[in-house]
Amino acid sequence: MSDVTPDKLNTADERERQKRLKYYSASQWTLIWWRFRRHRTAMIASAILGLMALMGVFAEFVAPYGPTTRDARYLDGPPQIPMFCDQNGCSWQPFVHGVTTQRDPVTLRSVSVPDPESRIYVVLFPAGEDVELLGFIPTNRHLFGLDDPDAKLHIWGTDSLGRDVFSRTVYATRTSLSIGVLGVLISFVLALMIGGVAGYAGGMTDNVIQRGTEVVRVVPIIPLYMGLSAAMPKEWSTTQVYFTMTLILGLFGWPTLARRIRSQLLSIRGEDYVVAARLAGARPSRIIGHHMLPSFTGFIIVDLVISFPYMILAETALSFVGLGLRPPTVSWGVLLQEAQSVRVIEQTPWLFIPAAFVVVAVLAFTVIGDGLRDAADPYSEAR
Amino acid sequence: MLSVKNLSISFDTDEGRITPVRDVSFFVPQGKTLGIVGESGSGKSVSTKALMRLLPGNAKLSPESEILYRTKTGHELAIHSLKPSSRELGRLRGGEIGMIFQEPMASFSPVYSVGNQMMEAIRLHRGVGKGEARAIALDMLNRVGISNAAHRIDQYSHEMSGGMRQRAMIALALSAGPALLIADEPTTALDVTIQAQVLELMRELQQDLGMSMIFITHDLGVIAQIADEVAVMYLGTIVERGATRDVLRAPKHPYTQGLLKAIPSINTLQQRLNPVPGDIPSPSERPSGCPFHTRCPDAIAGVCDRKPPREIAVSQTSAVRCWLHDQDARNAA
Amino acid sequence: MLRFVLERLVGMAITMLLVSMMVFVIMELPPGDYADRYAFRKYSGTGVSVTEADVQAIRVELGLDQPMVVRYFDWIGGIVLHGDFGQAFAFETSVVNVIGDKVWLTLAILFTTLIITYVISIPIGIYAAVKRGSAADYGLTIFSYLGLALPNFLLALILLYFANRWFEADIGGLFSSQYKDAPWSLAKLWDLVAHLWLPAVVLAWSAVAYQIQTMRATMSDELNRLSVTAARARGVPEGKLLWKYPARLAINPVVSTIGFDVNRIFSELPIVAAVLGLTELGELLLRAYLDLDMYVAGAILLLLTFIIVFMNFISDILLAWLDPRIKLGA
Repeated sequence: MSDVTPDKLNTADERERQKRLKYYSASQWTLIWWRFRRHRTAMIASAILGLMALMGVFAEFVAPYGPTTRDARYLDGPPQIPMFCDQNGCSWQPFVHGVTTQRDPVTLRSVSVPDPESRIYVVLFPAGEDVELLGFIPTNRHLFGLDDPDAKLHIWGTDSLGRDVFSRTVYATRTSLSIGVLGVLISFVLALMIGGVAGYAGGMTDNVIQRGTEVVRVVPIIPLYMGLSAAMPKEWSTTQVYFTMTLILGLFGWPTLARRIRSQLLSIRGEDYVVAARLAGARPSRIIGHHMLPSFTGFIIVDLVISFPYMILAETALSFVGLGLRPPTVSWGVLLQEAQSVRVIEQTPWLFIPAAFVVVAVLAFTVIGDGLRDAADPYSEAR
Repeated sequence: MLSVKNLSISFDTDEGRITPVRDVSFFVPQGKTLGIVGESGSGKSVSTKALMRLLPGNAKLSPESEILYRTKTGHELAIHSLKPSSRELGRLRGGEIGMIFQEPMASFSPVYSVGNQMMEAIRLHRGVGKGEARAIALDMLNRVGISNAAHRIDQYSHEMSGGMRQRAMIALALSAGPALLIADEPTTALDVTIQAQVLELMRELQQDLGMSMIFITHDLGVIAQIADEVAVMYLGTIVERGATRDVLRAPKHPYTQGLLKAIPSINTLQQRLNPVPGDIPSPSERPSGCPFHTRCPDAIAGVCDRKPPREIAVSQTSAVRCWLHDQDARNAA
Repeated sequence: MLRFVLERLVGMAITMLLVSMMVFVIMELPPGDYADRYAFRKYSGTGVSVTEADVQAIRVELGLDQPMVVRYFDWIGGIVLHGDFGQAFAFETSVVNVIGDKVWLTLAILFTTLIITYVISIPIGIYAAVKRGSAADYGLTIFSYLGLALPNFLLALILLYFANRWFEADIGGLFSSQYKDAPWSLAKLWDLVAHLWLPAVVLAWSAVAYQIQTMRATMSDELNRLSVTAARARGVPEGKLLWKYPARLAINPVVSTIGFDVNRIFSELPIVAAVLGLTELGELLLRAYLDLDMYVAGAILLLLTFIIVFMNFISDILLAWLDPRIKLGA
């Protein structure tokens, strides 16, 4: 103590006091954000997911080619990795080798063979296909490509029809993430209504709803989804199929969330401030929305984030077996449909790349969910 | 019987190292009861857990800590240096030293009957068969005053009332025949009438079995009823100790005096209670010098907040750690 | 105990009744009806032209002109009273014939998967909780994250790929080719056992990851209980202590989620079956959906759900038996 001069002590004390003041006066959301920020893995996961989301939103710009654009000169072609050096020396600008088509002497099929003598340089923002960014900004610039407009760059290879796997994955990211968002939103609205009614009314209503929820929970979920998607007429347009799929995913995601909302509502139904609001003549919808929900919004958000992976996995699984989204729509599941057999994976392993996206997205959501759960728990500060 | 010297215990936590027990020494004579008094957070439970090596993995004893115990067969055992999985430690726990806790409900496993847990301890320490163990368990339940013991022995703890559960807990701790019983606030969770019955029972059992006892409580009234000697703890240090009669009649330390004044009594019904002012600081914010100086009405500025006081013998049986009683050192400083 | 069991049985019956209604609605969802598809399937490519009157005749013959409620009761009545699940048009035989011994194969896969799940996850979860904060604990946490993120069917593809590449073995399917259509024998049974482990491991994958996390969390809570300290203070040796006190209680949540595990396994079964070429109910269900053979699909959905509900019932009984705090009959 003796070596601390009063002056120093005061400023240190003052700083500490200011810090505490800021802490005590911070809102619930600020506190959650502060705690979440300290969770390093969750922050990394958020960054990765943010990148994926950006990729999906600006798919037209990020993808060098359209999802169905074919390159007849490069069928089932392996990834072209931009390089700086080859046997003819090095260059400061990355390049790939040009491709020539030859006939295989044994099978007589035409195969694409890289021509080590020709170099095509990789450039940023080349002119390419005309697209509409965000659906309304016309442009022909893309993030990257080759400086020769006649040649195409396939950094992750092509499928059997010569479609660029990277471009398709980028567009698929948009579909898969957006279908997850819509599915979660739909299940949230459903859960809010069903769980809200059950938890607010209690008694007989609650019993009936609980029975119904149990029925949905007990049937194996993917086979159930499959039954609903199998019923979609074959002649439906891709848009119809897309929105029906979001509805199906949302329809069966609600039970867990509804249970949570119900039990939370039941537990605070008797609180004095809720009784006071009821006595003051507030309508049930206002009591639920304005007085009761805010007390556990944190938990709801955590549950929403955690239910994301299930949506994504379900969509992937259904599309994978042909009972979900259908080509020409591209989603991670649709892309993986082409990599269904061991033979395909052996010959064209790059078709399996979208699987990595599924795994990374699900991992990221799980880690963020865990981080949020810790951050939303007001008692975690004590530890 | 049991002697503890210079016991210091620290924990490594996320916020750094804290030392909730500092330089504690005491002695439990054969067949006597030592009462340890203190508020929650004074380190009384932590120090007794150390006697049975029940502290969690992040706890460390300081190198000069010494816990010596003389077993029923007359061996000297250095508890502080026993290996965690040694057979000596296994025999010591339960067989030599028994322990009862504040929460009898939580001390029993809910999925085994009371008899099952008693017979487990009996068979572990007495080396008898199933039938004999059951007979011993029944006898023990009878001794602690549980009626219809033959029926109760197969019940689960949640099927018993609070007082009965605490009796069963005592029977469980005694079933392996320990020579020393550590009771960690055994009556705190009980109603006042049942509290008295349990205290009475423990005193009887102690006399019948010739046991030594360490009785932890925050209630000086309980100490007066049961303890031969008393040690008053504050923030991990024993501030005053001695024969119960002496300490309670003529307390030397301002903290003990404060505690005594805070006890409501019939004679002072009309007056306001006099609690010790302030709160006990957390172990991570331990005051410098004498730990009690922040709440002490008689603190001497420039002395008590500078250096911790040493222990001063004030009579043949009692000692105190307080600058008020250490004239010599104060003058020398 | 008897009353407890009876109550659960009644609850089970009500749940199954509601499930059967939902399943029936799903069976009715696809556009067109059974008669259309039956006629199309039977006569397409044969050169016989089918008129609306022919279809109507089929409809009347099969009772499809009745209102939905009547048809539901016909269907459920047939199942409950005669064990008749209707006709499978793609196979032109009864659903019962199509399903045949596939129920037993499915159950074999289910139980192998469950056993693998619990044998792996329970000890590992306990270990992780005891060694909380150690490198092994972190490694297991990362593994269980991965287990939740990598879908089973992708794992199946990866395993098939490496088996093919390293051992040049085709490890898919439930039987070797010589036993596929052979009558049951000891050799065939042994062949099944030899093939069962791969689908079981693949299906157990996410269940193991999930249960390790559950087990670790509950075990950590149980380890901090006073009853554990009290038992330790009585000198119970550490190894016996762990199993008898905290682990014994930490298993309860695992037991209570057996139904969920079965649900998860069945949920993943059709797709894993498609990848691994298994010939059981999941694969048949997928095929039935793709063919819109709704009576087969409905029957399988109903059977799978019944197994789940039944396993829920078993888990309730087990739990009541394991935990004396659950008052039977109360």
